[in-house]
Order: sequence, then structure tokens, then C-alpha cells
Amino acid sequence: MQEINSEKPVIHVENLYRIYKSGQEKVYALNGVSFDIMKGEFVAIVGTSGSGKSTLLNMMAGLEKPSKGKIVIAGKHIEKLNEKELVRFRREHVGFIFQSYNLMSTLNAIENVALPLSFRGIDKKVREKRSIEALKHVGLEKYMTHRPNEMSGGQQQRVGIARALVVHPEIIFADEPTGNLDSHTAGEMLSLMQDIVKKDRQTLVMVTHDDHLASYADKQIRISDGKIV
Amino acid sequence: MKISDLLQMSVSSLLKRKLRSILTILGVVIGIASIVTMVSLGLGMQKLQLEQIEQYGGLTSITVMPDQSDVVTSNSHLIDDDTISTFSNLDHVEIVSPVLTSSAILLSGKYKDEIWQLNGYTLEGLKALNYKFSEGGLPHKGESLKFIYGNQLLNDFVDAHTGQGFYETGNRPDIDLMNDTIFTVFDTESYNNSNNSDSEKPDSGFESQDDEDDNDSSAKTPAKKYIIPAAGVLYGEGEDAWYDYSYGVYCDIEALKTTLRQVFRNRTIPGQPTRKNGKPYKKWYYSSAYIKVSDIKYVSAVQKEIKDMGYDATSNSEWIQQTQESSRSLAAMLGGIGAVSMLVAAIGIANTMMMSIYERTKEIGVMKVLGCELKDIQALFLFEAASIGLVGGVIGNALSFLVAFAINKISGQQTCYITAWLVLAGLGFAVIVGVLAGYFPSKRAMNLSPLAAIRND
Repeated sequence: MQEINSEKPVIHVENLYRIYKSGQEKVYALNGVSFDIMKGEFVAIVGTSGSGKSTLLNMMAGLEKPSKGKIVIAGKHIEKLNEKELVRFRREHVGFIFQSYNLMSTLNAIENVALPLSFRGIDKKVREKRSIEALKHVGLEKYMTHRPNEMSGGQQQRVGIARALVVHPEIIFADEPTGNLDSHTAGEMLSLMQDIVKKDRQTLVMVTHDDHLASYADKQIRISDGKIV
Repeated sequence: MKISDLLQMSVSSLLKRKLRSILTILGVVIGIASIVTMVSLGLGMQKLQLEQIEQYGGLTSITVMPDQSDVVTSNSHLIDDDTISTFSNLDHVEIVSPVLTSSAILLSGKYKDEIWQLNGYTLEGLKALNYKFSEGGLPHKGESLKFIYGNQLLNDFVDAHTGQGFYETGNRPDIDLMNDTIFTVFDTESYNNSNNSDSEKPDSGFESQDDEDDNDSSAKTPAKKYIIPAAGVLYGEGEDAWYDYSYGVYCDIEALKTTLRQVFRNRTIPGQPTRKNGKPYKKWYYSSAYIKVSDIKYVSAVQKEIKDMGYDATSNSEWIQQTQESSRSLAAMLGGIGAVSMLVAAIGIANTMMMSIYERTKEIGVMKVLGCELKDIQALFLFEAASIGLVGGVIGNALSFLVAFAINKISGQQTCYITAWLVLAGLGFAVIVGVLAGYFPSKRAMNLSPLAAIRND
């Protein structure tokens, strides 16, 4: 991980467009979006369904290509990378928390957390040690060897968070991380994420449609019809 | 990703879908078993044929004859001791034995047999011929002349009075070649001359051809008879046991030379060339030479070399080549039939992999989002397909051993012959087919969109 000057934004988005063609018509999912996110910030991208917030997140995580514009993350222009380079970019700089957790059903908590480490070719012993640390970090000491189907939704998402943290990424992206949880658990989850951001000076970008959940963030970017409002 | 992690992941995802994996593997098992069994049938046939050729005079032997067309004009292509040593200096030649072929008449009781194939070999040459004996054995060094009789020789004995033998009467003369007293006449010309003039009626059969020569011979004295002990009788049960040695008589060439010199004294020994003045040469000229080459693959090369020297060389190499070619194409054809079932198995593998990729679209997407290398994703699926092939190959080979064992048991001979390379080739083929069948599915997995991970369903 390279040291990043705190003066420079860790994410720089400039004049970003995403245009779908629907028959004759052009649909602007993103219509000229620009913003900066600094290191250690917890940013919520808020918007209604169809506002283009998920598209924005996908582009920043390198899962979708922009039609126009620049995305500079950790000094890298990711709009120019090909599929193979994007995979490497994600592996080196990005952690991801999914709405539906996306844990491997055959693996227990430790193994699930260790999965991104195994993609990096890290030794099994080291993997296990770091996974256990990460699971402790999210308060799952008692569920280390449980499989996803033996855990509650909240516990599963904690495993998901541990999996995103274990690789010490520069940026964590979270796509509606509490979308499948009840409001009480959702609150718990966001406090946990807030703690982690504060403690580790981690950058976290979260997409949500819920204004209340967005209020946990340091900064909110509101999107409507592909534009920041 | 580390190879060990890749392997573990592949195997665990195969184990996750046990029944489907087993069914796919079963297809490979049947495919490999049928290929290996079919090819082993072809190989078994080839082996049986080679064994047969071995009995018909060896796989690695070459017979060299003097070039008959040049006999009169020049001596350069006759075979003498110098020629033999030239042959033995050729590459890949293991054994060279001069062969001295003579004729003789065997007499036992009322039966007689005029033999044309009284062949003297060196003891080393006799040993190399690898004959099987039903009685007795090879003569020893330094012994006086002893005969080895071919297993069908008795068929050629005829009643001296009636001129009838086995082929007319269907009865083999009741002679014990090992123990009965058998008189041998080397000077067949003198014997026939004196016999012809004595006998009341002209003999049918063998001697009629010699009539023209009778005028030249001066010797009217009856030829001497010798008692030559038997060293052994060659193996071969019944009338069908026909080998190239069956009608011959074999002996040590040195002992034969000594005896012939004694018998003919200063006269020309039949078959030996004479000087212009009609006197015999001091040294021996041989009827042919027997050469054994160290390996079957050198036979044609050595044969060609000798032919280029001006001699007439024959071997079984062409026959061997022909049979090997035909059995190879047979094996290929049988293997092709087996390969059809392997093709079906390959389609099965591809289908299974395809299904598994559709099911795991989301899982693959998640792996991509978490930073799994594209080539690792491809490797995962290739490993899966290859392990299906490998496991199927191992079990298929085991099955083909069982089938081959059963076929050999039933047929009572080695109809199926499974070699080590056949097993390895079977395994390798199974793995390769697995990888090939898994290639396109794995390519597809690699190119799946990571966005699949984000979708909620």
C-alpha cells in the first residue's frame, strides 16, 4: 500500500457520464458527475432507485466502464484499465461489501474471510491468522468456524465486512450493505463501520437509499437523475 | 493463487456436486476402458504374430547366400571365412555363423531318406537359433559329428523297396531317431549309382532327378555307411507343427567339415567349387551365412548393407514390417471405435462444466470483485475438468485390466496385451480430453461479468 498525501483526494471523479442506448433514445444514467473523496472519509452516496447511484459505485469499483469522464483512484486512471488490470486494481486497492453478503456457502467464517487473501497467493497459515484478527475486529470471536447458513444476517454481514477489511484496502465500497437487515441490526452495522473508519482512517464509500443510514456518514453525495444535487 | 489452493477449490466444488461428478466420470471411465481394451486387442494380435514369426526363423536373423549369378566368373561373392569375419564386423551384428549345407542319405531298417538340408552351423550359431528340443540337446564343443533331427523328418523316410512313405501311406515310419541305429551315407552320388545298377526296378521319387548325372560318375564302389549318433530331436507335436527347421538335420559345422574331409579324401566335396583344373580349393566355401542382429530395428539396415556388398540377403523384416503395419492399423481402427465413446464422454464433461458455470455465475462474479485473477478462474475450471478426466482415466484403466483379464481367460491366450505405455497414454488422453472439453466453459467463466455479483436475486 502506498502512502497517500492527505492533501490529495483518494478518489477523484470528474465529469463522469454513463449513457445507455434504449432503442432510439439515449438514457443518461450518469450525467456529468464530479466530486473528490479524501482519505479517511466515510461518504454516503444517497439517491432513490434508478438515480444512478449504483452505477456510480460500480464504476468507481471498476465493475462498469464509464462512457465519458475520469475516475482517478489512488493516482490511477481506472477508466483506462482493461479487465485484467481492473482485477489487479481491485485486488490491490479495493474492498467490497455486498448487499446480499455473497459468502461461499461451503466455507466457514474464517475460510470466507481468507478467500481474498488466497487470491493474493498468501500462505494458508498467514491467511488464517489475519482472518481471525479481522473476525475479532468485527466481533465474531464465537462464530469463527460457523458456516453462513448457521449465522444470522447481521453476523453474515459482519463476516462480509471482515472479508473486505482483511486485505487492508485503501478504499472500501459498500453497496446497500444493510439492505437485507432489519433497522436495528442495520444501525449496529453502521456504527461498526463508522468505528472502523475512525480507528483505521479507512476510506469508505457506501451506497444507500435511506436518509437515516446516510446520516452515519461524514459526507453525503446526493444523486438524482444522474446528477449531483 | 497457489496451485494447492486452486486444486483444493476445484476438488471441493466437484465434491459439492457428487452425483453429477460421478456420472460424468462414469462416461470417461467407459470411454477410456473401451479405448484401452480395443487397442490392447490390436497389440495382443501383433504380439501373437511376432511370436509366430519368431518360430518361423526368428525376428532378428538374416540369411546370406552367395550371389549365384557371379559364381562362375568371379569368386568375390562367395562366402568363405574372410567373408564371415567381414560380416561379424558390421554394426549391430551379434552372431555370424557360416552354414555348410550338404546332402546325405539316412538308412534305418527298410527305410531310407535322402536329405538335402544337412546344415552345419557353428555351436554359437546353433545356440542362437534357439531351437526347442523334445529330446536331447545341442552337441558340445570338440565332439565328433552328431545330428539334430527336425521334428517332421520322419515324414520324408520312404520304404526303400516300395518307394512309399508317409505321404502315400499316411503312416509315419516307426523309427526312434534318438536311439535306433541310423546309417548315414555322405557320398550320395556313389550310393545312388551303385544302387541304381543293383535295383531291379527304377526308384520313383527322389532319385529320378539325378539320372543325368549318372553317366559322369566313375565310382562304382558302394559308398561307405557311417553311424552318426543323434544329439537331439527338435520339438513339435503332431503333423501341424511345421517350422522352418522341421525337415532339416543340423550339426556342428567343424565336426561336419572333419567328417566330410574324411569321407571324400582328395576328391571334391559336393557343393564346393573347383579350380579351373578341377582340383578342389584348400579352404571352405559356405552355402550360406546365418546372421543374428542385436535388435529387430536394425535388420533391414544390415540386410541392405550386405546386399550392397553383392550378396543375396533375406530376412523376415519385410514380413514383420507388413504384419506390424497391418496390426498397427488394426489397433488404430479398434482404438478409433473406442474413441467414439470417449467423444461422448468429452461432450459429457463439457456439459457438466457448462451447467456448473451457469449455477456459479454469482460465485464467479464475487471472486472477480474480490480480486481473483482471470487466469485463476480459468484454471479452477480447467483443473475441475482435468480431474474428472484423471479420475475417469484411472478407473477406466483399471476396468480395462479386468476386461482384458477376462478376455484372455476365456480365449486361453494373450488376446489382450496391455503395455505400460498404453496405460500412460490412456491416462494422458483422459486428462487431455478433460482439459479440452473444459476449455470453452472455462473461457466463458473467465469472461463472465463481475456485475453478476452485485445483482440481488
